Amino acid sequence: MDDYYDELLEVCGFTVEEIDQERYRIEKAFRKLELGPEDMARAVTWVSYNHDVELAGVRMMLGIWLKELIDLVLAKDEGKKLVYFGFPTIPGPAAAIAASTDELFCTSPETVLCYTMGQIFNKLTPILEEGENNGLPAGHGLCSLQQIRVGGMAKKIIPVPDLVLTSSYFCDMGSKTDELLHEKYAHPAVYVDGSMDSRWGEYPDYLPQRVDFLGAQIEKIFDQVKEVVGVEIGEEARYEGASRGHQIFSALSELVDLMKDADPQPISIVEAELARRLTNGSASRRVITEGPQAIRLLNQEVRKRVQNGMGISKKGAPRVMILMAHFSDPGIMHMIENAGLSIPVALHSVVQAKVRKRTPFISGEILAEREMGFGAFHGTYGFIRGAVDAIKTLNLDGVIWNYLYNCRPIAITSHLLKQVVEKETGIPVLSLEMDLYDSRSYSAEALRTRVEAFAEMLRVK
Amino acid sequence: MRAMKKLLAHLKDRIAELGKSREEGRKVIGYIPGGYMPEEIALACKAIPIGWIHGGDYSMVELAEPYICHWMDTFCRAKIGYGVSGKDPYFNIMDLLVVPMTDNHIRAVMDVLAYNTDIDIFPYGVPHTKDDCAFAYYLDGLVRLKSRLEELTGVELTDSSLREAILLCNRERDLFRKISLMRKMGQVPLNSEDFVFLNHASFLAEKDLMVEVLESLYNELRAQEAPPQEDPRILLTGSTLALGDNKIHEIVKKAGGTIVIEEFAEGIRPYWENVNTDGNLMESLAECYFSRRVAPAWFRPGRERLDFLVKLAIEFNVSGVIWYHLMFRESYKIESYYFPEILRKQTGLPVIVVESDYSPNEMGSLQTRIEAFIEMVRE
Repeated sequence: MDDYYDELLEVCGFTVEEIDQERYRIEKAFRKLELGPEDMARAVTWVSYNHDVELAGVRMMLGIWLKELIDLVLAKDEGKKLVYFGFPTIPGPAAAIAASTDELFCTSPETVLCYTMGQIFNKLTPILEEGENNGLPAGHGLCSLQQIRVGGMAKKIIPVPDLVLTSSYFCDMGSKTDELLHEKYAHPAVYVDGSMDSRWGEYPDYLPQRVDFLGAQIEKIFDQVKEVVGVEIGEEARYEGASRGHQIFSALSELVDLMKDADPQPISIVEAELARRLTNGSASRRVITEGPQAIRLLNQEVRKRVQNGMGISKKGAPRVMILMAHFSDPGIMHMIENAGLSIPVALHSVVQAKVRKRTPFISGEILAEREMGFGAFHGTYGFIRGAVDAIKTLNLDGVIWNYLYNCRPIAITSHLLKQVVEKETGIPVLSLEMDLYDSRSYSAEALRTRVEAFAEMLRVK
Repeated sequence: MRAMKKLLAHLKDRIAELGKSREEGRKVIGYIPGGYMPEEIALACKAIPIGWIHGGDYSMVELAEPYICHWMDTFCRAKIGYGVSGKDPYFNIMDLLVVPMTDNHIRAVMDVLAYNTDIDIFPYGVPHTKDDCAFAYYLDGLVRLKSRLEELTGVELTDSSLREAILLCNRERDLFRKISLMRKMGQVPLNSEDFVFLNHASFLAEKDLMVEVLESLYNELRAQEAPPQEDPRILLTGSTLALGDNKIHEIVKKAGGTIVIEEFAEGIRPYWENVNTDGNLMESLAECYFSRRVAPAWFRPGRERLDFLVKLAIEFNVSGVIWYHLMFRESYKIESYYFPEILRKQTGLPVIVVESDYSPNEMGSLQTRIEAFIEMVRE
């Protein structure tokens, strides 16, 4: 018999058999999440309006995120050891951890909440407010992704983890938030240190000492997982984690290739980024095993659209690159697309697909070297250089640099990127201040005027 | 106080003097005053270290607007304003700006100035943990700095020149410590404005002269009888206390409080520890500046500093703590949420958290809040 949530789950790619099999878990998780019939009805409308659910690949990805949410909420009840990692710096080791055993659930809970409570249920605000009331108040430029972690734990919808993996070399706030949470919940944390001390112009070179330092710090994760959680991340897991990582990045790379030259734009950037986030937004066994399959399925559908000249934008629409899509509110990217702009790619997808070389094994040193290659973790110059190089190869008409005002390593680029890109490429840049996790202050409506003016300018150029 | 007058006179002519020194071939080495740049290395290379210490000026913050978004730390935006406007004579006279990289706000200063000005910048990392590989990384940064300064000055740093510089800086730290500790007593022979001024001056003054001034002042203070002090005793702590950022001192004084001890990540020279002069001196520098220094809030975990603040509050017998951080310095903002409870549990003392963007418009609300706090702790 159908229940109040069946329709939504089917829209999100669940099969009838899966729903029947999982009813107990689904209901238990939804109770914890305070999601009732009204929420499901609203979510069906929201998802159908904002996502291209005609595409089986999109439905499957939404399903993965939803299953991830259920797994996360129930992890402790189901006797799993729970490890949280901090977005965006730790997914490499997390993939090896996830590959090690089924008894351990390793994820970035705030990302999962964005992609489900935001993208699917449009019900992130109570979680954000709880984060604001528990140490990360509004109005101080604090990271809303961290507010979501704090709020999720304060509301008891995500469990207290057995261990937290957090880094302080890219983001100052994530690890400080973990300290705040440690004061309240006393769970242990591994602080992965490093230093983004490269001078302007140094990228792509780097001091070997940086790799030695960061590599040793990443290895510390594996030692601590063994010591605190009792799970040894052996060679087999490190090979398997690398192999799964390669599969998911290969699939993403193929999607980026399909998207970047297509005219019209075959799918919304919202869906492309739904795929991209599977590469680093979580690292559970489910994501690393089902993720590549979902993206490959999407790729087949995108290829068909490209071959048939189908798309969501007008043919010949001005092409812009963005930094990243919104994590929780698909409406903002749709607003940009509805302004008549085509967004074939987001910067991080292009750069990551490019620098992600196949490595057979996960080790601190290998991951640290990869971080150096990925400009954003090298330094501001590397970050901007990566963008300039990408822009030069993408045949773009403009760039919407939708930087996160409350993410300092990215906010540094607020003006610098525009200065450098316009000087070196002549391509106009709209430096658009926004929040990529919380759309209450930076809503589509609040941003629309600037985007439409920019689109108008590109059209007459 | 005669010593203070001498120092003021020296600072008045300091820029001209630095210009003259440069003409004579000495190099001026500016640095971000976060406590992680051992001046000893510059001194041993016969260069002149200058802490880039000015702040507190909102017009400089405004000048940074075309270069960086609003959401970065106020002191760092002010630094960008000073740098890009050419309105800071100390910045204009630097041959090199050394940037010990503590967090993203400092990184922003470096990146914006590197792209928008001609300043030569030497960055090196300050890790956020205190394990062995972090120590090795910091030490490596100092070794690279030494090479860079040797290359720039053409002076080879020797063990003996470094030891001499360390001894001089140790003496300065000794004196700051002794003067500061005098405030532990019931009397406060030197008020916080003057103590902070001395500390700020030490970032700019010729080192020999600074030590001489501190010696004289210490002797003067020892000889004088300080009046008994009955106002509420306050610990002032936070992210940055720059030269020119005097408002908290002014408000506290007006409200009838007395700041008896200060602890800041930037702007107050760490003086609690000395550099060992035995063994490998570069390692000794790293050990003192990195390992033994009470770490600011950018360290993870950052409990060491919070425990140190509790200790200071007890030892300096304070009635309350004013936590003063600049806008958007998130490490301090987050700690300010849970520190009051730590302090309350261990001492029963209250904390007031205040923030600033250097805007003159803040004065009214800061004054009301701090006055009410002083009134409360007085009772």
